Amino acid sequence: MTDAMIEVTRLTKRFGDRIAVDHISFSAKPGEVVGLLGPNGAGKTTTMRVLTGFLPPSEGGAKIAGHDVVTDSLNARRNVGYLPERVPVYPDMTVREYVLFWARLRGRRDARARADAVIAQVNLSERRDTLIRNLSKGMRQRLGFAQALAHDPPVLILDEPTIGIDPRQVIEVRDTVRELGRTKTVLFSTHILSEADHVCDRVVILHQGRIVAQGKPSDLKRKLRPDATLEEVFLSIIGTERGAGK
Amino acid sequence: MTSWIVFRREIAQFLTTPFAYVIGAAVLLLTGILFNRDLNISFSTKPADPALVPSILSFAMVFFAPLLTMRMFAEERREGTMELLLTAPVRELSIVLGKFLGAWAYFTLLLLFTGIYQIILVNITAPDLGHALSAYIGIWLYGGATLTVGMVFSALTENQIVAAFLGMVALMLLWLADQAGQLFSNIDVAIIFRTMSLQGHFSTSFASGLMRAEDVAFFAGIIAVMLFITAQILESQRWHG
Repeated sequence: MTDAMIEVTRLTKRFGDRIAVDHISFSAKPGEVVGLLGPNGAGKTTTMRVLTGFLPPSEGGAKIAGHDVVTDSLNARRNVGYLPERVPVYPDMTVREYVLFWARLRGRRDARARADAVIAQVNLSERRDTLIRNLSKGMRQRLGFAQALAHDPPVLILDEPTIGIDPRQVIEVRDTVRELGRTKTVLFSTHILSEADHVCDRVVILHQGRIVAQGKPSDLKRKLRPDATLEEVFLSIIGTERGAGK
Repeated sequence: MTSWIVFRREIAQFLTTPFAYVIGAAVLLLTGILFNRDLNISFSTKPADPALVPSILSFAMVFFAPLLTMRMFAEERREGTMELLLTAPVRELSIVLGKFLGAWAYFTLLLLFTGIYQIILVNITAPDLGHALSAYIGIWLYGGATLTVGMVFSALTENQIVAAFLGMVALMLLWLADQAGQLFSNIDVAIIFRTMSLQGHFSTSFASGLMRAEDVAFFAGIIAVMLFITAQILESQRWHG
């Protein structure tokens, strides 16, 4: 477990009386793409926000590249690139200014060269001097990736990167995630299961703040039925849970 | 270093948004009209006041400072960029400091523009330049302090209008504290009110050509405390999600 890039231990997050994340534990090794699955409100975003240092945990903890997200927060944050669900942008900046800003703020000395490289990586070179307000939704999504990659972090946390974009772009994003997964640890959330099946080495299924299953998609499927889809696995697990709860 | 990066972003924001120009134009229009009036009077009755523009600004900043700072954090939160700022490997205080320096630099630029009135004055009369300089240094610090008060409210609320309104109310109270002090015949009570008042550290000292260490320390203290409070507010918002 020591070589894990993401290590979550009995992590709990409460908002008042509501428990958003309930004692979850999982980890991700270098070069692994882990999918965080679950219905809306399962606790995916909250988990990611704790991992990125945006929210402190109520109980338990998490480490990024060996750095505790609470006690060694700055070092943990240095190692994470984060793409929130709604890509946050400064509409009055150009693509290049925006990526450069984040590269600099996250301490890249060669920020200019890095920004250009990242912009090329996400295929926005032709738009580098375009104001962000004039970008299409798909382009904004790619810009979001560029921002997350600006400081070349070993860990990437992507919150629903395929939400609200057209099918061609979904395929693009999938390819990008798979590509990035070769060199980086990627944690990405989705509620579209076929997507996770295509991209992830491992999945963690969250339901009502708890982990209800985790493992390789193929293993999870085999457990249920030889020809089962991840969707069927998911429904069977959530269904059982619901039945058990009542 | 981090503050410098945020500062550059902030000043660029001021220089590219129409709203900052509108505020700038309003400040210059207001001071210009009043300067012109004072100049006309000076030909017949009294000499022109070298501290006129800083004195006008000392009241005007009650309204202008919150307008300049209202979008500062409110907008970051609305666009979601706050989440990226707070997950970047930087301290809240560095972000707050960078933003403050950006706003203060913009205010300094406005002050420099009003220097034109002093040039006009020098060309037609012989104003007390030491007096003018003292008043300008005073309003520079005073302006910085009012901006930090505005920042506190921008950090507190997501709504820009509410941020501006609360900032104005707070600054008005600080401004009126001096007036309230004048109502008391008891000297000790009056001194307490005066000590809390922004105006009390400006009108009877800097604006009269008097530079006192205690007044400089007061404004520097307000700036430091308000920036610290703003950073604390950002920090505490993490805990409340």
